[in-house]
Amino acid sequence: MTKGLRLTDILVTVVISIAFGIIYKIWGPLYYALKPLGLHLDQFIYGMWFIAAIVAFLVIRKPGVALLAEVAASSGEFLMGSEWGLEVLIYGIVQGLFAELVLMAFGYKRSGIIVVSLASIAACTGSLIMDFYKGYIEDLATWNLVLLIVMRAAGSIVFSGLLAIGIVRALERTGVTAILRPTSQDDFDSLNH
Amino acid sequence: MPISFDHKMTWLHKINPSVKLVVLACLFVAVLFIHNPNVMVLFAIGPAILFLFFTGHPFKRILLFSIPFLLIFLSTSSSMILFGKGETTLFHWGLIDITVESLYRGMHLGFRAIIYAMLGLTFALTTSQVLLFYSLMQQLKLNPKYAYSFMAGIRLIPIMIEELTAIRYARMVRGIQNTYTVSGIFSSIKGYSIPLLSQSIRRAYRIAVAMEAKRFTDSRKRTYYYQLHFSRYDLLFIAYFGLFLLLVLSISGHYPLFPVVDVRSL
Repeated sequence: MTKGLRLTDILVTVVISIAFGIIYKIWGPLYYALKPLGLHLDQFIYGMWFIAAIVAFLVIRKPGVALLAEVAASSGEFLMGSEWGLEVLIYGIVQGLFAELVLMAFGYKRSGIIVVSLASIAACTGSLIMDFYKGYIEDLATWNLVLLIVMRAAGSIVFSGLLAIGIVRALERTGVTAILRPTSQDDFDSLNH
Repeated sequence: MPISFDHKMTWLHKINPSVKLVVLACLFVAVLFIHNPNVMVLFAIGPAILFLFFTGHPFKRILLFSIPFLLIFLSTSSSMILFGKGETTLFHWGLIDITVESLYRGMHLGFRAIIYAMLGLTFALTTSQVLLFYSLMQQLKLNPKYAYSFMAGIRLIPIMIEELTAIRYARMVRGIQNTYTVSGIFSSIKGYSIPLLSQSIRRAYRIAVAMEAKRFTDSRKRTYYYQLHFSRYDLLFIAYFGLFLLLVLSISGHYPLFPVVDVRSL
């Protein structure tokens, strides 16, 4: 594995993230349609916003990809004129940084359901920290705050953990991820026959 | 997407994109530390003037763009208003407990969200994406590898949207019913995202190979097709928000609209 990200890695990460950026644009209205109900149903689907980082990491598996993916997805959303404006960009950076830290703690070697779910929860923690500063969520009634945190964490595991793994497994079956991996011994062996 | 709309050029378009981005990031942090609703409400006028009159887009279109603001205001403030902590109850019904404190706090949050939305949309409407990345490379020394990847990615957006439409038609032709059960939603997310992602990865890979074949490197000694510089409009932009913030702080100190200075400690 070469050190740092090659142009291919960066381009693929950015393009994956922008594809998710488009999906986020469709996701946004669903989010604020659920939000005024007040009972935090919206928080369950919040986890979708962390999926770009996880999917890009699972495809490329190199340091820095998760952070780059969140930054790219949020800036794509920002430049397309997101209703949330500037805050998507800042939230994206913080969420990507937190997911990246968990993946770094495991040395970028492990990519099982547990590690990926931990990274999703880390991204979720990042978004909650931003909400403490921006949205005064500590001033919600206690039951409401607990509900918010539980819903968002559960949604993170379901969407950016389990769904991300499902998507990447399906992508691997299409064979598209193979072009991004370094050539293995098997490839050389198949040429020698 | 703003690219496809005709609009006039205004002074906001002439600001150096890096300067604009850095000023907006500073404003984001500054607004994060406004806890006084008097300051917040008055400060919203600043971005509103720019958004309503200086983006160069026709007024009707600007009004159309502002419709989501109402939704954002409602959705951001509602959970705090309905479920926030507070002592002086105005209305109580079941789990809902509206208090004076939560009402102020909810309104404050709504205004903050609208300020962010207006600043962000003003930026998106007045900034060319290509020039933004050229400027980031020249003024903020962003690595060209990243800048060109972003620009290539943005160019792919219309193709991706077209592909998404094609997938939707293909599903319609084959008679796939959208079911709104949990497994139904997951299978349709997969049905859309797998073809979209796999095509995008292939395309990105081909672009990267082509760029490297044409000797694209991330060396700093490169030439730029667009040369961007600082201008007096940058100073004007910084001065606009700087002076406005000072004005708002002094007005809100002398003539408060609400009897509240800090929404956190009511």
